[in-house]
Amino acid sequence: MGLFRKMKTAPVEKRVSDELKARLQATEKAPFGFAPYNPENAEKSGYSNYSYWGSTFRVFFKNKLAVLLLSVLAVLLVFTFIQPHLPNQYPANLIVNHPITGMQMSNVQPSLTTVKATAPAGTELIVTPYDDPEWSAVSNVLADLKAREKFTVIEYGEDFCKVEYKDLTGYVKNDFSTKLKLAEDPTATPYEARSNFKIKVYSSPADYTLDGDELFVETNYLTIEGDKAVAAQSCDLRILPSTAPFLFGTNSLGQDLWALVWSGTRTSLLIGFVVAMIEAFVGIIVGVLWGYVRKLDRILTEVYNVIDNIPTTIVLILIAYILRPGVGTLIFAMSLTGWVGMARFIRNQIIIIRDRDYNLASRCLGTGTLRVIYRNLLPYLVSVITLRMSLAVPGAIGNEVFITYIGLGLPVSIPSLGNLINAGRKLVSTSQSYQLIFPTLVLSIITISFYIIGNAFADAADPKNHL
Amino acid sequence: MAKYVLKRLLSAILTLTIVLTVVFVLVRQMPIEGYFDNYDKLDAKVIEAKLEKMGLNDPLPVQLLSFFKNLLKGDLGTSARYSVDAPIAGIIAQKAPISAMIGMSSMVLALALGLPLGAAMARSKSKFWDKFGTAFIVFVNAVPAAVYYIYLQSYGAKALNVPMLFDRNNWHTWILPVFSMSLGNIAYYAMWLRRYMVDEMNKDYVKLARAKGVENKKITMRHVFRNAFVPMVQYIPTSLMYTICGSIYIESLYSIPGMGGLLVDVINRQDNPMVQAIVMIYSCIGIIGLLLGDLLMTVIDPRITFAKKEGAR
Repeated sequence: MGLFRKMKTAPVEKRVSDELKARLQATEKAPFGFAPYNPENAEKSGYSNYSYWGSTFRVFFKNKLAVLLLSVLAVLLVFTFIQPHLPNQYPANLIVNHPITGMQMSNVQPSLTTVKATAPAGTELIVTPYDDPEWSAVSNVLADLKAREKFTVIEYGEDFCKVEYKDLTGYVKNDFSTKLKLAEDPTATPYEARSNFKIKVYSSPADYTLDGDELFVETNYLTIEGDKAVAAQSCDLRILPSTAPFLFGTNSLGQDLWALVWSGTRTSLLIGFVVAMIEAFVGIIVGVLWGYVRKLDRILTEVYNVIDNIPTTIVLILIAYILRPGVGTLIFAMSLTGWVGMARFIRNQIIIIRDRDYNLASRCLGTGTLRVIYRNLLPYLVSVITLRMSLAVPGAIGNEVFITYIGLGLPVSIPSLGNLINAGRKLVSTSQSYQLIFPTLVLSIITISFYIIGNAFADAADPKNHL
Repeated sequence: MAKYVLKRLLSAILTLTIVLTVVFVLVRQMPIEGYFDNYDKLDAKVIEAKLEKMGLNDPLPVQLLSFFKNLLKGDLGTSARYSVDAPIAGIIAQKAPISAMIGMSSMVLALALGLPLGAAMARSKSKFWDKFGTAFIVFVNAVPAAVYYIYLQSYGAKALNVPMLFDRNNWHTWILPVFSMSLGNIAYYAMWLRRYMVDEMNKDYVKLARAKGVENKKITMRHVFRNAFVPMVQYIPTSLMYTICGSIYIESLYSIPGMGGLLVDVINRQDNPMVQAIVMIYSCIGIIGLLLGDLLMTVIDPRITFAKKEGAR
């Protein structure tokens, strides 16, 4: 065994000693000298097929949740920007008026279509003339009854009572909102009765008006005789022939919440992105100077201590209080302190990495400064920079909500998520709670996505996680 | 040690002076309407006389000097609009204890819930508690507090069958504000405790203890938790101090008559002296809190010396 090993190692030993002899001869000619940088030799020692970005994306795409949220976010972002150019969209600040009554269409509940009710075939409806030949205004109200006016109940029903009033036969609602004064035994018809409130007499036992709004039906669904019409088939009744559906409903002013939410998302994202950009730009420059230029370290550390000691919210409040509210003010106030954190992280990273052995080795091997920065420093900074930038967006959105909440935010004429949430929060426990739910839903999706994607990408971009 | 404390103290005082000066100068740039209760109805002469009396016509450095003189005497000035001519210090002395009580309760709750959550997360890596805790932390950190506070108030009041607004004498009404206020801190404590504990668990002395056969529970309690808690101590004085300020959101949502709601009130009324005073109090508290945090760290963990940071350089 020993002999065998000796046989194998002997040629190697010979080769090594030959090599050493050759080198010794070379160094005798020129003892010390800088080795010129040779990219081929540099690559030989490293991973041959390692690519930083390739590796980063490979690790990132392994995180299923982050990829899912990334696609959701991408769709959402694209959609916010193309939404105003889609057909049938209301301008964000338009107060939508009812085309017939001219009243504001306030607090319309959200719906996917404009269909507000469906009348089954054979329903008797009253037609009020309407200019558009395609459409007829439809309501099945036969007459309005004043409070305490008498009528005769001829058939008793739990929900509707069939009544005779003057020369009409129709139905009145029988619920607590009408408070009908019925006989002791209400089923023993006919008898005289009255209502405590103003009520309506309908042509059929269903209320096809909607909060006093006229409903509309396409004429070709109806067979019309005089002012009466019968639905020839089951037909869709709409509140308005000429308005597009209010997917998210309308607010108390009668503005389309769908348009407002997307317009607000654009504003909030604009603020978020600009703040993130400024934060990255200023933060990286200051951070690199702070970390690399040793003379600046003391001064910048003192400046940092001063700025970091002031609570961010206070700076926000103070700036927003002093300057006029507007997008520019908010961006300015948030950027004023945002870069500090980024600068500190970058400075710390640079100080940690700068003097590490592998950097020293690179420099000794004659690698250029740019290459050291690009190959050795940047991969460690990418993680920090992307994390801070992606967290700056939800942070800015949250700050905007906060500033609006305390009454220093954007004017109502510039819709933003903060504005909408602030307007909606008084309605949280009413039937108009959708005015809070939709903006908060969109906002939560955006902020949570940014947060999770940012963290996942920072993990993926960290070279420590690449091996 | 003494040198470090002195240095840290001096830098805090310097910071405080800079911040107070900046705030003072900035608020002076506001329109002078904010110093009068009924500016529109006042005669130009009366306004001039009052400005003179308040010293607002003096050059800025003179104003600044007299402001600092008054401040050292504990005089924060008088309110202009919120409660006409009342001393601001008096108003704040009335409001701060209420905020502090709620803040303290919420801090206790946050520590009581956040620390066990963080410990449970660190121990059950990628099991239920870790996943639950991570989801909770992501939610609390990513979604603006206003959003979940509003829902918590309205649905919480319905679910618990308690009144929506705060009433000092009815302890039921304390539940929601205290709980809402603690959510952020629960997430904060849980997140950092988990991170520090995981770091600590990978250290050699823990591996040794485990190899020796020390019980898991003992390792967690005696070694990991204690060492992981040290860096978190730094944060506690700041949060304690901030309880005085109250939460702006919570107090105005539940109409709690504390400091946080006060800030919103005086901003809406454009009461310049009061905005200035409250903003200054907030910044002072931030600075003092950080100072105490740093000092407490050195006391608690003798291994930490701040005298020379980054000695490796």
